[in-house]
Amino acid sequence: MKIGVLRFPGTNCDFDIYEMIKAKNHEPIWLWHQDQFQMTDIDQILVPGGFSYGDYLRCGALAAKSPVMKSTLEFAKKGKPILGICNGFQILCESGLLPGVLLRNKNLKFIDKWVSLKLENSNPYFYTQAHQSKIKLPVAHGEGRYYLPSEELKRVQDQGQIWFSYEEDINGSLNQIAGVMSAEKNVAALMPHPERALWEWMGGADGFSFLADRGSL
Amino acid sequence: MKVAVKILPREVLLDSQGRAVHDNLKNHQFHLNSCRVGKYIVLDLALENKEEALKEAKKMTEFLLINPLIESYQLEVLEESQSFHKN
Amino acid sequence: MSDELKNKLKHYRLSQGEYEKMISLLGREPKSIEWPLFSALWSEHCSYKSSKIHLRKFSYRNTITRDDSDENAGLVDLGFGEKIIFKMESHNHPSFIEPFQGAATGVGGILRDIFTMGARPIALADYLCFGRTENNPRMKYLEQEVVRGISSYGNCVGVPTVTGFTEYDASYDNNILVNAMAVGLVTEGMPLASSKAHGIGNLVVYVGAKTGKDGVHGAAMASESFDENNEAKKPNIQIGDPFYEKLLIESCLEVLKEKLVVSMQDMGAAGLTSSSFEMAAKNQVGFDMHLDQVPRRDSTLTPEEILLSESQERMLLVCVPENLEKIKKSFEKWGLDASPIGKINDTKKMRLFWNGDLLTEIEPGLIVDSAPRYERPFTKYNSSKKISANDFDNQSRKLLENLAETVAIESTSQETEELLKNIIHKMKHNSSFSKKNWIYEQYDQRVGARTMKDASATLAILKLPSHRELALSVGCRPSVMRLDTELGSKDALLYPALQMAVKGFKPLAITDCLNFGNPEKLEVMTDFVTTVDNYAHLAQLIDAPVISGNVSFYNETQNKNITPTPAIGMVGLKENESPVPECHFHEEGLEVYHMYPHPDRSHVLSYHKMAEINHVKPFFCGDLNSEEWAQVVNTLKVFIEETKPQGARIVGAGGLAMTLEKMETSEIKFQPFSKIFNGKENLAYLFEERFYEFVFTVSKNQKENFEKSLKNYCEKNRFKFHLIGFTKK
Repeated sequence: MKIGVLRFPGTNCDFDIYEMIKAKNHEPIWLWHQDQFQMTDIDQILVPGGFSYGDYLRCGALAAKSPVMKSTLEFAKKGKPILGICNGFQILCESGLLPGVLLRNKNLKFIDKWVSLKLENSNPYFYTQAHQSKIKLPVAHGEGRYYLPSEELKRVQDQGQIWFSYEEDINGSLNQIAGVMSAEKNVAALMPHPERALWEWMGGADGFSFLADRGSL
Repeated sequence: MKVAVKILPREVLLDSQGRAVHDNLKNHQFHLNSCRVGKYIVLDLALENKEEALKEAKKMTEFLLINPLIESYQLEVLEESQSFHKN
Repeated sequence: MSDELKNKLKHYRLSQGEYEKMISLLGREPKSIEWPLFSALWSEHCSYKSSKIHLRKFSYRNTITRDDSDENAGLVDLGFGEKIIFKMESHNHPSFIEPFQGAATGVGGILRDIFTMGARPIALADYLCFGRTENNPRMKYLEQEVVRGISSYGNCVGVPTVTGFTEYDASYDNNILVNAMAVGLVTEGMPLASSKAHGIGNLVVYVGAKTGKDGVHGAAMASESFDENNEAKKPNIQIGDPFYEKLLIESCLEVLKEKLVVSMQDMGAAGLTSSSFEMAAKNQVGFDMHLDQVPRRDSTLTPEEILLSESQERMLLVCVPENLEKIKKSFEKWGLDASPIGKINDTKKMRLFWNGDLLTEIEPGLIVDSAPRYERPFTKYNSSKKISANDFDNQSRKLLENLAETVAIESTSQETEELLKNIIHKMKHNSSFSKKNWIYEQYDQRVGARTMKDASATLAILKLPSHRELALSVGCRPSVMRLDTELGSKDALLYPALQMAVKGFKPLAITDCLNFGNPEKLEVMTDFVTTVDNYAHLAQLIDAPVISGNVSFYNETQNKNITPTPAIGMVGLKENESPVPECHFHEEGLEVYHMYPHPDRSHVLSYHKMAEINHVKPFFCGDLNSEEWAQVVNTLKVFIEETKPQGARIVGAGGLAMTLEKMETSEIKFQPFSKIFNGKENLAYLFEERFYEFVFTVSKNQKENFEKSLKNYCEKNRFKFHLIGFTKK
């Protein structure tokens, strides 16, 4: 597969994502924030973490308005898969591809630690190992408190759009939500970092299964 | 009585957030000379006298709300009609 | 001396003697624009005038360390196309004034020192000393904000903070220490950059943030109290922008990779002045610099302010004229401007212009290389807290009896085990022993996806692209420095070196950040020289050269000096991929061994941290023989490689008891054999700090082989050991 990796000024997990794609024998392709791209060249898109535009104004807000996101919106409309991680999650929410918003952690502090996650609903493209419903991944974010108004939350829940939740309340997220999907499920995102849990030496390898194996799709 | 505290980074200091927003708007072909990003705080005080309210707000602002080394501020008494959350 | 001259000297922080030296070098009175140049380049910070003659002792190099003392940071060649560059620097004073920005810009500055040489920053570490936070809201605020500053800058710029050290003591009540260390990696195909300018006609290009008044009157800031109501008198705090720094890292590494630049230098302390003059002086060339062409944030800036501004996130490059357009394009891609502000001339002189007028013409070496050198007086260090072994036993007994009494009053039982628990409980709640998770959890410890062991481990470890493992540790225990400078400075290197050895790593090289008080005071200079001598000696013995560093003098307030705190950063390497011994009890049913120096070998018995916590004057006996312990650094690493214990840890402050307590996790506890932990006479064995002792854990099936090897190791290296217990759920 050819997997596009969005790069904004301030993105800092881009190289890590690049390595994760290579570890699964797919082909990573850089997609620069100021460029639009040809749909046909790309099979999937990953939106990596970091501090796009310094996280200024609101996390992900400035990135959501960039030219590359115009193509990304088209890409999503065509039903093609997009995965957002951490700041990527925030960007996808700001661009309207995912419901909700990520607010400052309830203790107002950045938080870096390994957390246990529960798979709530499976996704057809990313982390398809539905048999393993409890996993361990690291989080690293200052703004990861997921929020959306209660009537919308009900709709999102009813439609099975909650992807992962935290086993423990780490940041004040509504219903301990850690990851969500679009109604069509082709856009998915989570706050924890699978690319930092690829091999046992990293402290855990549950992130290895987030991208499909080569040839299985 | 409500008093608004408008806080901006001091003129002489770098406003990194303002710079980022400025550059971004410019990239989208908006024209502007500069941009500064600050904070806006509304204090709801149990005082009816304007001067007293301003005095109290000044005290609170300088005690906690700003760091004079990096921020400057203005106070404004808000009239009843001035609401942020008009429907 | 006229009052006018007196004021001028005070303003520019130059002495009468330095003024006379200026005149003799110039052959005339300095021009007004030359005052700030001399002031900046002859400051302690830029010229190292009080320390330089001693820092020359760090000349030891081995085959893998490059001797490039005039570059920004030291370099270690790891082979397989991998090189690392690292350095540690202080940002103490700015952090005391504005802790968030002070700490943040400290991180920014040390990162620029690394990528200016062409290395990608891969790790950060911090070394923090605060005053007492109990009932001191200001100190609490400083502590919280410093951590937030480091976190906000490091996290955003995308470099993980993987380890650190935090200390609390009254000696830092009015002068906190904020030291940051950065490590950079150079891999195959990444060209190194030089800071030496050359090539007549080449362009001098300014890159990055525009210049503002940041830190212009930084020097005056320390001495003057500022007037809150007078805008003009407020200090111009330097504001850091990690987002801009990230853009600078990527764009600078890009232009280096494309081989578009001749040389590069960040604008750190004394900004444009030090970067341009030092770049020129290193190769004895001159620049024509048009100060009016420096990009400015503020149109009212004067030439003097432009020269002295310490605005953050700025770089100076030299390139051949043909590459200018390509360089501009590269930076533009990252949203940054590159503006030519001058060129290398053929006069070997720095010529500064303002709107076409020549302000001054001066040889750069005249200021940089002729900076004053001071031989500040010092004497031989006198160990005042050292006592005889007999006295030690007596004092130790007294201390423990007192301690037992105080905790016994609070508890009902006289049982030793109960007593022990109560002592541990009491110690644990002191800020020095309490867990620092709240700090490390605010740092992104994993960005870059190289982190193997984070700050929760005693040794941070990163995976290199070659699959070898790089360890990172910061050292210097202020409580040992307070006990004895001679001992403390040896310990500052030996303790992290042994921490590495006990995990199977070989210490490679060292950086230091020597925080001291006023060097014009005999006792301060004596502490400084003692430290430098010990560092130089031990660096050679353990074959880990001191390749970079920083000196921070004048850490004094109202005549009170801080504890001499020569922080160090050490980097080590493990060539194989065998598992690293754990530093916690990670599973049940492990045998726990204690290894400690044989009474007839050189070692130290001390009470430092424990004494301080219990308000007793610290004391110690014995000697640390540098040669012997450097040997242990070597042999211990080999022992670990051969025996592969499941866990291994050096015993730290609070002795064996506190170390075992630290090794416990919420699930796995330590179960001692009763003979070791019963009877009050064993309290000394548990709480005394022996330099140095170790704890190992091994699984049941390893036990027989391990014990044989351990016995053999102890006999050869004059240690003793006990099997002291096992782990259980």
